[in-house]
Amino acid sequence: MNARFLGLGGTRPLPAIVLVARREVRMRLRSRVFLGGTIVMAVLVVVGIAAASLLAGKTNPVRVGFSGGSQALEPTFAASAAALGGNVTVSDIADVTAGKAQVTAGTLDVLVIGTSTSPTAVAKDAIPSNIESALSLAAEAARLTDAGLTPAAVKSAMALVPVQLLQPPNPKDTQNVLASLALGILLWIALGQYGNMVAQGVVEEKATRIMEILLATIQPSRLLAGKVIGIGLVGLLQLTIVGAAALVAVHVTNVAPIPALGVASILGDIFWFLLGFLFYATAYAAVVFLVSRQEEVQSAVAPISILQIAGYLLMYAALPNPNGPLATVCSLLPPFAPILMPVRMAATDVPFWQVGLAAGLILASIVGLTWLAGRMYTNAAMRIGARVRFMDAFRGSART
Amino acid sequence: MSTDRRLEIDGISKRYGETVAVQDLSFDVHAGELFGFVGRNGAGKTTTMRIVLGVLTPDKGEVRWGGVPLDFATRRRIGYMPEERGLYPKMRLIEQLAYLGELHGMTGSDARVSALRWLDRFGLKDRANDDLQALSLGNQQRVQLAAALVFGPDVLVLDEPFAGLDPVAVDVMADVLRERADARVPVIFSSHELELVERICDRVGIIDRGKMVACGTVDELRAGGQERRWIDVPGAPSDWEAGVPGVRLVQADGTRRLFELDPGVDDQALLQAGLKTGPVREFERVEPTLGEIFRTVIEGAAA
Repeated sequence: MNARFLGLGGTRPLPAIVLVARREVRMRLRSRVFLGGTIVMAVLVVVGIAAASLLAGKTNPVRVGFSGGSQALEPTFAASAAALGGNVTVSDIADVTAGKAQVTAGTLDVLVIGTSTSPTAVAKDAIPSNIESALSLAAEAARLTDAGLTPAAVKSAMALVPVQLLQPPNPKDTQNVLASLALGILLWIALGQYGNMVAQGVVEEKATRIMEILLATIQPSRLLAGKVIGIGLVGLLQLTIVGAAALVAVHVTNVAPIPALGVASILGDIFWFLLGFLFYATAYAAVVFLVSRQEEVQSAVAPISILQIAGYLLMYAALPNPNGPLATVCSLLPPFAPILMPVRMAATDVPFWQVGLAAGLILASIVGLTWLAGRMYTNAAMRIGARVRFMDAFRGSART
Repeated sequence: MSTDRRLEIDGISKRYGETVAVQDLSFDVHAGELFGFVGRNGAGKTTTMRIVLGVLTPDKGEVRWGGVPLDFATRRRIGYMPEERGLYPKMRLIEQLAYLGELHGMTGSDARVSALRWLDRFGLKDRANDDLQALSLGNQQRVQLAAALVFGPDVLVLDEPFAGLDPVAVDVMADVLRERADARVPVIFSSHELELVERICDRVGIIDRGKMVACGTVDELRAGGQERRWIDVPGAPSDWEAGVPGVRLVQADGTRRLFELDPGVDDQALLQAGLKTGPVREFERVEPTLGEIFRTVIEGAAA
């Protein structure tokens, strides 16, 4: 490895797989497509995270002003509002007319006027329900105190009813759903892009006839493996760069910690990308052996493209209910697992056995596809010209 | 590998469905020998070469190198130039050649040195860092030959290496092939340029419809052929040769005539018949060219 792998001269011949993979990496890294694609993806991810952090910062506190006798309610109101999950700032307003003007102007959200036992809330067009409740609770407490109850008695009388949730909502929130959606789209684009790169690369070798020279010196399966490994490494590098950009952006914008953007999650996503890439790359490679010209690639890969698009649509169908039967079943199936499983894992807690089963199934199908692709390669690689029928390539009966 | 540096093609047959591409084809090429492989389009030349390279599997027969059937390891030592040229259009010449050298088992540094050497030999050293697609077709073909030579092959199998080259490039390529043959590398190449084949090849194989119909040195191939004479008898009547048995008029050019003699016919009889009618200005023995031999052999095979 090291200097030798980088091609800075060598003292020993390298294995053919390494040579093929190294060529793919070098050629792809040098292309503008890679550079441009990486920059575009990184910029999109960073912009998305910045936008998310702006949206998250939008939960500004509700500004509540108290005038006259109602000012006595301020401490109890603030406590009740906090208990009800409201984020408030409390201020004294000296002049009611000026206060109303502030409410109209939007510099104050709620103005409380009147006495502590019979206050009135003034708002522009609406008042958040938790603010209204907190105010009512504060007024009630004031009336009870006024009626002669001790502060302790008031406190016990006013105690909130404890709530016991049998099915507590998932701690992963909307932000997570959004993040996992973005992640799914990113994975989907990457899988499509790199799968197609393998397909184009294989056809290029057939169309330019270099296949004939290569096959005289390297076994088809090794040529295929080297190609898939090389392009996979390039994809991995690109995703790592984009992932690193995402982590830096999260750190800089200090957006509320989104679990889907944690290091562990990103590593998990890369793992699923690799499985998905191997699955789709070998599937693409197997079918494009049947054609000889670039123009025929699209029609040859159509069945696989349809699976990929179905996976994309399923992602939208599955996200609203990431633990529903549709999402669960589809995320186990090899063609969809590379996108649906990481998306589900970002959106919710997925049982470990499901993750394991999905990974096992896709690994098994990768092995099967590799065998199929190797067979296709051997039988169809030299059939240049007419499109090869699938069964002919599979059986390897007739050759040209 | 072996002291017997000889490539033997032994009884290979290959059919595609109903079509017979090659049938029971045998020949061999020795070290130091340039072997020209000629035949009409579709005669089976390319199929034969692909079988030698292992990109096609024959239905029958085998190919041996030094007496041992070719396997993957020995095939890697064959330099191959396919009929359909094939290199990466968007890869730099030097990288492309070095890559192929490494695939054939060279170290990275050796491959680069050799790649540069061959580019220099073909006058393309200045273009070493250009993409292949930036070159003219003729230059691309030189690169293609360099690709077959870069790893110092034990055998060269070249499918129409001269097609589309300018006369200077033809000379360079012919020199290179001769030089490789002199370095004890058996060289097989196919070509439709029979004049060139006749000029540079030690032996020639003529293939027709999948069968080897003639194989040997050009002189050996001539031996079985028709004898021809040009004779110019300006003052003779038009049918002066009528009394000479076994003589056939092939071509007339003014008073010059080209006759074909049947096997065993004495050309002196023709000369004397001419002299009887007047002075003979010219009497020349014509060696059939490879092109003529080729046509005769192909016609004979068809009959």
